[in-house]
Amino acid sequence: MAAANAHSLSQYAKYHNKVGRSRATSEATWVRYTLIGVALLFLCLFLFIPLAAVFVEAFRKGAETYFASLTEADALSAMKLTLIAAAISVPLNLVFGVSAAWAISKFEFKGKSFLITLIDLPFAISPVIAGLIYVLIFGLQGWFGEWLSDHDFKIVFAVPGIVLATIFVTFPFIARELIPLMQAQGKDEEEAAMVLGASGWQMFWHVTLPNIKWGLLYGVILCNARAMGEFGAVSVVSGHIRGLTNTMPLHVEILYNEYNYAAAFAVASVLALLALVTLALKTYVEWQAARNAEETEREITE
Amino acid sequence: MSIEIKNINKGFGSFSALNNVSLEVPTGELVALLGPSGCGKTTLLRIIAGLETPDTGSIHFYGKDATERAVREREVGFVFQHYALFRHMTVFENVAFGLRVRPKHTRPNDAEIKRRVHELLNLVQLDWLADRYPPQLSGGQRQRIALARALAVEPKVLLLDEPFGALDAKVRKELRRWLRRLHDELHVTSVFVTHDQEEALEVADTIVVMNQGKIEQIGSPQQVYDNPATPFVYQFLGNVNAFEGRVNAGVAKLGALEVPVKEFAQTHDSAVQAFARPHDIDISRDASAAAFKAQLTYVHSAGSVVRLELKRDDAETFIEAELTREYFSQLNLKEGETVYLTPRNVRFFLD
Repeated sequence: MAAANAHSLSQYAKYHNKVGRSRATSEATWVRYTLIGVALLFLCLFLFIPLAAVFVEAFRKGAETYFASLTEADALSAMKLTLIAAAISVPLNLVFGVSAAWAISKFEFKGKSFLITLIDLPFAISPVIAGLIYVLIFGLQGWFGEWLSDHDFKIVFAVPGIVLATIFVTFPFIARELIPLMQAQGKDEEEAAMVLGASGWQMFWHVTLPNIKWGLLYGVILCNARAMGEFGAVSVVSGHIRGLTNTMPLHVEILYNEYNYAAAFAVASVLALLALVTLALKTYVEWQAARNAEETEREITE
Repeated sequence: MSIEIKNINKGFGSFSALNNVSLEVPTGELVALLGPSGCGKTTLLRIIAGLETPDTGSIHFYGKDATERAVREREVGFVFQHYALFRHMTVFENVAFGLRVRPKHTRPNDAEIKRRVHELLNLVQLDWLADRYPPQLSGGQRQRIALARALAVEPKVLLLDEPFGALDAKVRKELRRWLRRLHDELHVTSVFVTHDQEEALEVADTIVVMNQGKIEQIGSPQQVYDNPATPFVYQFLGNVNAFEGRVNAGVAKLGALEVPVKEFAQTHDSAVQAFARPHDIDISRDASAAAFKAQLTYVHSAGSVVRLELKRDDAETFIEAELTREYFSQLNLKEGETVYLTPRNVRFFLD
C-alpha cells in the first residue's frame, strides 16, 4: 500500500512538475474537475451559445437575406452614424484621458481626488440618466433649448447629441487605464528628460508616450468598443429617427421590435463581430503590455 | 564657488525637510551629502537641480542667482538612484537624448552626436553595449550609462542621488572607486547624496553631514571622522561607544569611571555625553581606578580585527572593542571572563 502510494506520488510529481503544481498546493482531482466543469458550463450557457445564436439566427433565412439586410439604406446609415460617433468620441477621449492621467499621476495639486471622482462619474451614473442630462440641457424644454432653436441648431434628437452622449459614457476608459500605469512608472524618466534639457512637449513625446503606448492602446480599444455598443444614453438623445439618428444598437432594437428577426440578428452579428475583433486586439495588446511590464519589473528589481 | 546655497527652507505640509540650510560647493570638488534617510539630503539635491523649489532662500550658480531658473536651463547633470534610463531607447539613444533635444541652432549634427556618444560610452567603458536596451543591462552597467547620459550635456554641475544605493556591495565598491577616478579626470563640480558613511569617507573631498533638515558639520573626511562637531556626527560616522554621565569641576563621572577633563573646570554638575571609538578601548586583566569593570560576552573573530562585546558591571549597557588579531591571541581572552576597560581619546559633549 505504502509502496503503491509512493509510486503514484512520484508519477504525480513527474507529471505535474511540468506545469509547476504539486500535491501540496492543489486540491483533490474531483474538486478540480468539478470546478473546471462548472466554469465551462457557465461559459457555454452564457457566452458561447448566445454568441452562436446570434450568427445562427442571422443566417436563418439564408445568406442573401443576411447581406440584403446589411446593405439596406437604413442599416448602412446606422453603421455610418455609429462609426461617426466613435470616430469623434474616441480621439476626443484620447486627448482628455491622456491629459487627465498626466495631470493626476505626475503632479500634486489640490482637488486631485475630486478630479478622480469626476472621471469615474460616467461609470457610476446609469447611461439613461447620462442621456437625460443632455435632453434636459439642450432639449426644446431644456436650459439652452430656446436659444438653440432660435439659432436653428439641433443637438438633441440629432447627431451632435449622440456624439455628446457617447463621449460622456466613454469618458473614463482611457484615463482609468492610464492612471495606475503612469503612477507605477513614477516621474523619474520625465525628470531625467527635463534635466537633460527637454521641453515639456519633447518630454511627453519622446519619454512619456512611448512608455504608456500599450496601456493607451488598450484604453482606446475599450473606449471604442463601448462607443460602438452604447445603447442607453444614445437611445435617450437619439429620438430613433430611421436613417438619421439611429446607431447600430438602436437599429437592432427597432428591427427586433418589428419582428424582423433575421435583419435584427444580421446587424447584431456585425456588432458581435466588431466585439470579437476588439477582443482579439485587446488580448494582443494586453500580452504586449504584460511583456513590457515584466521588463520594467526586472529593471526595478535588479 | 560653483554652487552657493543660502538659507534654504523647505517644508512638505507640516514636515520641515530643510531648515535654514546654507552651503558652498567650491568649483571642481566632489562633495557628499551624508545623513540618515529623511534628513533632507535628497531634497537639497533636488532643489539644487531645480526639481523642487525652496520655500525661502536662494541658489547661486557661479555667482548668478539660479533660484528661479528652469530645470532645463540650469545645465546640471542628474543621476537618479534607480537610473531612470529611458527604457524604450537603446543605450546610444539614451546618451544622445540630451543632445538631440537641443534647439536647432545649438544641436550638433548627427556625425558629431555619434562621435560624442561613443566618446562618453568609451569613458564609462561600455561602448560595446550601445545597441542594447536598459532592461538588458546589469545594475552597475545601467548606473554607468546614466552617468554617461548626464555628462553628455556637458553639465556645469553633476548631481548624484544615492548613485550606488541600489547596487550590491561588491559592485558598489568598484563603482565608487571608479567614480573617484572619473572625477579626478574630469574635475566637474559634483554633489552626491548617500546614507553610507563608508562611501562618503572614501569618495568625497568634502563631507556635509546632515540630520533632521540641518547641516551638522562640513569638513574633509578626516576632519569629520577625527573631530566630529556634534554627538550626532560622532554616532553616525563609524562605530562608537556612548557613555552617559555628569561633569563637575573638571571631573567627568561616567558610571564607575572618573576622568579629569580640563576644559570643563568651570562646569558645575551638568549632564555630559562621552564617546570613544571601539579601537580606542584598552583591555586589561588588572584592576585599575580609571577603568570599567566588564564581562566579555561575545567575540566576533571573523574579519581583519577581532570585535569584542563586553557588558559593563556598573550599568546595563554594552561596550564594543576592537583588537588586532595578534593582540587578541596574546591576551588569550575567554568569553565570560572579567576584564578592565580604559577608553582613550574620549570626546565629551555637554548636554
